[in-house]
Amino acid sequence: MGQGSSESMKTEELEEYQVLLCFPLSRIHDTFKNMCSPGEGYREAKMTSEQVCSWPQLKVNPFRDRICHVFSTDDYFTFEDILGMASVFSEKACPWLKIEYAFFIYDFNENGFIDEEDLQIIIRRLLNSDDIKEEELISLMNHVLDEADLDNDGMLSLAEFEHVMTKSPDFVLSFQIHF
Amino acid sequence: MSEAGAAREPDSGGINDNEVFLPDTNHLPPTVTFLQELPSYQSMLRRRPSTVRTRDGQGFVRRSPVESRSILEGLGVESLDRVQSIREYPLNMSQKRQLRDIQEANTKYLSGWDQWKQTRSKSWRKFLDETKELSSYLELWRHDIRNIEGKFGTGIQSYFSFLRFLVLLNFVIFVLMFSFITLPSAVSKHGVLNGSYVKVPPKSIEPQCTVYTVSGTKGLIYFYNYIIDLLSGTGFLEMTSLFYGYYTIDKVQFNVIKYNVPLAYLLTTLAYLSLSLIWIVKRSVEGFKQSLIRDEDQFQSYCNKIFAGWDFCITDINAARLKHSSLQYELKTDLEEERLRQKIAERTTDQKLRIYCLRIFLNIIVLAVLSGCFYSLFRATVFSQEKISNDSGKPNVDNLLVQYLPSMVITLANFIAPLIFSLIIKFEDYSPAFEIRLTLMRCVFVRLANIGVLLFSLGTRITSCASEKCTACGYNYKLYPCWESRVGQEMYKLMIFDFIIIFAITVFVDFPRKLIVTYSSWKAFQWCGLQEFAIPDKVLEIVYGQTICWIGTFYSPLLPAIATIKYFVIFYIKKISLMHTCRPSTRPFRASSSNFFFLVVLLIGLVLAFIPLGLSMTHLRSSKACGPFVNFNRSWDVVPYTIHTFPAALRKVLNGIASEAFAVPFFMVICLVMFYFIALAGAHKRVVDQLREQLVMESRDKLFLIRKLTEAQRHS
Repeated sequence: MGQGSSESMKTEELEEYQVLLCFPLSRIHDTFKNMCSPGEGYREAKMTSEQVCSWPQLKVNPFRDRICHVFSTDDYFTFEDILGMASVFSEKACPWLKIEYAFFIYDFNENGFIDEEDLQIIIRRLLNSDDIKEEELISLMNHVLDEADLDNDGMLSLAEFEHVMTKSPDFVLSFQIHF
Repeated sequence: MSEAGAAREPDSGGINDNEVFLPDTNHLPPTVTFLQELPSYQSMLRRRPSTVRTRDGQGFVRRSPVESRSILEGLGVESLDRVQSIREYPLNMSQKRQLRDIQEANTKYLSGWDQWKQTRSKSWRKFLDETKELSSYLELWRHDIRNIEGKFGTGIQSYFSFLRFLVLLNFVIFVLMFSFITLPSAVSKHGVLNGSYVKVPPKSIEPQCTVYTVSGTKGLIYFYNYIIDLLSGTGFLEMTSLFYGYYTIDKVQFNVIKYNVPLAYLLTTLAYLSLSLIWIVKRSVEGFKQSLIRDEDQFQSYCNKIFAGWDFCITDINAARLKHSSLQYELKTDLEEERLRQKIAERTTDQKLRIYCLRIFLNIIVLAVLSGCFYSLFRATVFSQEKISNDSGKPNVDNLLVQYLPSMVITLANFIAPLIFSLIIKFEDYSPAFEIRLTLMRCVFVRLANIGVLLFSLGTRITSCASEKCTACGYNYKLYPCWESRVGQEMYKLMIFDFIIIFAITVFVDFPRKLIVTYSSWKAFQWCGLQEFAIPDKVLEIVYGQTICWIGTFYSPLLPAIATIKYFVIFYIKKISLMHTCRPSTRPFRASSSNFFFLVVLLIGLVLAFIPLGLSMTHLRSSKACGPFVNFNRSWDVVPYTIHTFPAALRKVLNGIASEAFAVPFFMVICLVMFYFIALAGAHKRVVDQLREQLVMESRDKLFLIRKLTEAQRHS
C-alpha cells in the first residue's frame, strides 16, 4: 500500500463519517484502501473521473459519465467525494436522497429540468441501440410526460420527478451500487 | 391530460392566448432562463451539491462562502419534518460538516429537555445502526445474492431472495413446532420430567378402534427395507417423532406447571399458520409504502420503466447487454400493447361475438384438461392406497413405486398442463401481458388444486367404510387405524419426490443438454438451445412445495425441518443451474412486480392450506389409536374442553365474545369503519384531481405571463 498511506483512519474520523453518511462503517475501510495509490495519504489522494468510471461497478453503467460529473468537484474525486457517492447509492440511503441525486444525474443539459432533450438521451442510452424509430421515441416521451408532467410545461421539475418516483416501486431497488 | 398535446407542440401556428409556446425558433432560452429565476427553482438550487451552470452562460450561479453559510444556516434552523439526520441532506461532505457544526451551536439555545431528547434520539439511532449492521452480517447468502444481482440484475435476484425468505420461514416454523410440541413429548417419554400418557375413556369407544400396530418394525429386517422405509415414511420411521402417532403424551409436569400437550399441539398449528400469514402480508406491503393513491397500474408505468429501468448494480458486461435488450423488448411490447388495446376497442360486434364464442369453447377445453388431470389423480391415489393396504408387511421396490404413484401423476400433470395452456392461450387473442397473467393463474390453479384432489381422495377413503357407515369409530379403522400419520406420510412422500425431481432434472436433463449444445454441432440441438431460466415456473414449483409443508406440518411436526434443508439445497442447485446450464430469460422480469407475484401466489397456497386443515380439525373424527387427541371427538374439541376448566368469570367473558350478541355488533362496527375509510379515500382522490387541474392552470398562467414579459422586454 506504500509508505504514505500507512496513516490509517483514526477512530474519531470513523465516527464522524458514520454520523454523516448512510454508508456502513466497515466498507469505509475497503474504499479507503482502494483509493490510495502508493505514496499518498488518503486526504490528498485525487482520482480523475475516467479512473472512477473504469471501476467495475460503474464500467457498464450507461449513465456513468453523469454520475461522475454530479459527484465530483471540478472533475476530480477526493476521498470524501467517493464516500458521498457511495453513501447515496448504498441500500441504507433514504429514498428522497436518491431521488434528488437521480434528478441531477438525469438532467443532461443541466438546466434544472428534465426536458424532452434529456428524455431522448436517457431513452437512447437505456436502449443502447441506434435502430429505434423516431415515432417510438416520441411516443415514449409523450407517455412519460403524460404520467409525470403535472403542470403541462413539457418538462419535469424536481417536484414532479419526486412525485412520480415515490410511487415507482422499482426505483429504490434499482438505484443501488455496492461499493 | 388530453390537453397536454396542445401544450407540447411548439409550432401549432398563430399566436392565441391558449398557446403556451411562441412560434419562434429560439423561444426556449428566454423561457427557461425566466423559469430559473423563479423562487421555486432557486430553492431547488440551494439543494444542489455542486455548482450550476446554464447552457449559454446566463444566470451563472456559484455559491460564495458567505452565501453558503447563510444558506446552510437557513437549512439548519428550519426543520424539514421528513429529514431526521444530517446524512439525509444532499450536500457534500464539507457542507455537511458545516451544517453539523451549526446544528451543534444551535443546540445551546434549546432547553434542557430538548437537548436531552436530542442526545437520546442520537444514541438510539446509533444503537439501531449498529444492530442493523450486525444483523446484516448474519444475513444468509448475502455475498451469493450480491453476486447474482451483479451478474443478472434484480429480477433474478428477487427469486433467490424469495428462496432465502422461505428457508427462514420454514426454520422458524420448525423451531416453533419443535420447542412447543416435540421437546416436551420427548423429554417426558425419556423420563426426564414427569408426564402422563393419553388415556382413552373406556366406555365411550369400541375396543377395535384403539388397535394400532406398525408393520415391519419387528424381527429381522433387511437393509434395503430401511431405505424403502426412509423414502416412504413407513416402518421404523412411522413411530418416530416425525409423525403424529408419536405424540401420545397428555400432560407434562414441570414443577408446578402442568403443560397440556394436546392444547399446545393445536395452538402451535394455528400459531404457525398465522405467523406465515402475517409475515407474508408484511413482506408484500413493504414494497408499496410509497404509493398511496394508485389509480394507474404502477408496475406498467412508463416512468417506472425508464427512470428506474436500469439496474445500477449490474457489473457484468453480458448482463448489461441483456438488460439493454430486455428493456428494448419491454418498451416495444408496451407500445405494441397500446396499439392492440386501440384495436380491441375498435372491434365490431360481430368480431366480439366470434371471439367470445371461441374463448368459451377454449375454456371448456381447459376445464376438460383439468378434469382429466384431477380424475386420473383420484384414481391413482385410490389405486395406490388399495395396493398399500393389500401389500402391507411386505415392503419391496414395486410397493415403493406404487406408493409414489400419486406424486408421479401430480408431477406429470404439473408438467403437461402448462404446455397445453400456453398452446391454447395463443388462440384466445388477448393482449400479451394478460396472456402471461392468465396462463400463470391457470398453472397456479392446477398445481394447488392437485394437492386438494389428493387430500380429497384420501379423505373419502378415510371416512368411507365397507358396510357399517363407520359408526364404530367415525372413520375407517380397519384400513387407517392412525389416519393422521397416513396423511403425514403422503405429504412426506410428496415432499421427498418433489425434491428428487428438482435435483434429477438439473443433473440429468440440464447438464447433458448444456454439454450437448456446447460440444455438438448438429443444427437441431443448436436450435433447441439451452434451458431458459424461466422464473414463473420455478416459483410455482417452490410454492407447491411450501403448500405441502404447511398442510403436512400438522400431521408431521418435523416436516418443516425437512423443508428447510430442501430449500437450502435447492438454493445451491438453482444457483449452479443459473450460472452454468441455463441461459437467462429473454422476457424481462422486474424485481418489484416479481416480488409481488411471488408473495401473492404464496398467499394463495397458504389459504389453500387452511382449508383441509380446518376441515380435518373440525369435521373428521380424530383417530382413537394414536396421537394426542384420543380423548376428544375432534381435534378442535380440546379448546372448548380447556375453556371449561377456566374460572367462571373468564369463561363467561370468552363465551360472551364467541356469542352472537357480541359478533353482530362487532361486525357492524367493522363495516362502518371500512365505509369511513372508503369514503375518506374517495374524498382524497377528488381533492387530488382538483389540485392537479389547478396546477395545470397555474402553469399555463405562469408561462403566459412569461411570454408577455418577454414580449414587453423585447418591445421596450
